[in-house]
Amino acid sequence: MAASVADLRALIEQRFPDAVPVTRGIARPVASGIPEMDHALPRGGFPLGRLSVCAPHGGTTAILRAACRNASRDGERAAWVDTGRTIAGAFWDDAALLVRPATLAHAVRAASELLHAGGFRLVVLAGAELAAPQVARLVRAAHEGGGAFVLLTDHSSMAALRLSARIAPEAYRWDRDPFGGPAHVRDVQLDIHVRALGWNARARFPLPVQSHELRLALESGLADRRGLPRTRLRAP
Amino acid sequence: MLWADGHGLDAHTLARNTLQLIRNRGTDDARAAVAATPVAAELAVVFGAVGERGVAVVAPGTDRAFTALFPIEALDPAPRLAPLLAALGIATCGDLAALSHESVEVRLGAEGVALWRLARADDRRLIFSPAPRELPHASLDWTDYALKDPERLLFSINALLTRVCGALAAEGRGAHELTLTFSLTDRGTHVELLRSSRPTANQRTWVRLVRAALERIRLSAAVTGVALHASRVAARDAQQGDLFDRGFTTTGAAEDAVARIIEDQGEHAVVAPDNSAHPLLDERTTWTPRAPRAPHAAPTGGKVREAQPAYAAQAALTLQLAPVPRAIAVETAPRRDHAVPVRYRDGGQWHDIAQVAGPDRVSGGAWDPDHLHAREYFRCVTREGVLVWLFYDAQAGAWYLHGWWD
Repeated sequence: MAASVADLRALIEQRFPDAVPVTRGIARPVASGIPEMDHALPRGGFPLGRLSVCAPHGGTTAILRAACRNASRDGERAAWVDTGRTIAGAFWDDAALLVRPATLAHAVRAASELLHAGGFRLVVLAGAELAAPQVARLVRAAHEGGGAFVLLTDHSSMAALRLSARIAPEAYRWDRDPFGGPAHVRDVQLDIHVRALGWNARARFPLPVQSHELRLALESGLADRRGLPRTRLRAP
Repeated sequence: MLWADGHGLDAHTLARNTLQLIRNRGTDDARAAVAATPVAAELAVVFGAVGERGVAVVAPGTDRAFTALFPIEALDPAPRLAPLLAALGIATCGDLAALSHESVEVRLGAEGVALWRLARADDRRLIFSPAPRELPHASLDWTDYALKDPERLLFSINALLTRVCGALAAEGRGAHELTLTFSLTDRGTHVELLRSSRPTANQRTWVRLVRAALERIRLSAAVTGVALHASRVAARDAQQGDLFDRGFTTTGAAEDAVARIIEDQGEHAVVAPDNSAHPLLDERTTWTPRAPRAPHAAPTGGKVREAQPAYAAQAALTLQLAPVPRAIAVETAPRRDHAVPVRYRDGGQWHDIAQVAGPDRVSGGAWDPDHLHAREYFRCVTREGVLVWLFYDAQAGAWYLHGWWD
């Protein structure tokens, strides 16, 4: 029986070479490391050698960055092509190789190199609205390299997996100020919808919202003098 | 005594010719010997019988038997060993060679072991160091014309790089440094050293370095020839690792891909943030180029690695910044002693705000008019569920969208 399955597999590979994934189904997809999210993804992650499209906003960047961290934890590499240059350095944790191309054409070339190399398990292309030939080129590179390719865009042609996320305005949980107003957002509830061929799944889970420390002054227009030595603040 | 290395040569002919050369210079009593080991050759030439035309030959494979015939004094034992050898009844090299290693070491010590090895024709002395291999090089000269255009020069140098890098790769080595020599029409030469941070035979890497050098250097005349040679060569980095470690096995491919991107788009395409404590988030980060070497190798030994602090951060919505704060129109409403935005217009579309936190006031730079800032930041949740970061510039009296959480 085993021999016949092997023979069948060999025959399929011979007759339909392009239909056989590079990874041959052995490698696991790229999981995000968020249990609820991975449960909603087919086989538990973003498919290898295929295009996944995530609609921007709604927390998809957080999910993909978690996937980059997860790949890095597993001893793999991930790359993030930041076409829109929206990544804030203060929040970048170096879990993925960061590429900041100057133009859209540069972004496509960089993503193509990274996907084709086969050394990156996950390549995310963010902030790029691509034409169909460009998408086809990158999908072919992903197929040849065997890594998972995720495009952050609203257009989902040629995608093997589509992921959209939504946050309701009331889904934010706030710490309140003394007047009862919102002061600090603690976390947010994400509604995820994943679609693929023969797959339609939803997930709902909370994610924290990361803030940064602001150095504040008491009043607009005043110089921030808090860094000065106390002796200089005293009256002469 | 003169030593000659006959490896790979007809040793007998070499000895005969060398001897003839010495005799031609007036030394008539010179002798020569040929043997597989230095000790046998030395004994043969000093004590042995003179063979055909003054050349003694120790037949291959008989060095030990030949050495065994000589008295032990022929090996010039240390004065301390002489009475001990006599007391043990060792008169010839053969007597000493017949003993075991342990017994010699116990009775005669380390010096005795060295002598025992020589007596067995087990001569470990290196008379000649290995001849250094010729370093890869290539050159190209042209006489009918002279080149000034850097692009055409690069084209020629690229052809040389193909040969040099190919030779390096074939030997499993990489170059730390290549020397590029330009022959100029004024009969002068210009030497340029190209250095790589690590030994590499990657042609693309060297092309990138050559291109950078050509942009930098100024030649005094047009070029009529180029020579390229690998001046510092080392074995390429061969990291120990686990073949089943997924990151380890693809390191080369990943590094090459990053090198190609840097070559194509410049070093500022692949970057890492260098953050300061500047009060303004958009001024806080300097993007520094990242070396092609470090596209995130994370060897795990084939196992799932323990969570590391750098990557252990929980998944979270983080702030994304607009490349430049976007001017927006904002409608505000009073709240206690300040005004808060209730809706804003961006890209021709109005966005209603459901919740707003703030203001967070940031000001400073009073000592530097160019960097004077006074901003009131608000975190606002729109009706679409997006958490955006708006600020009011108190100096300009204008509102901006600075970023959003995603």
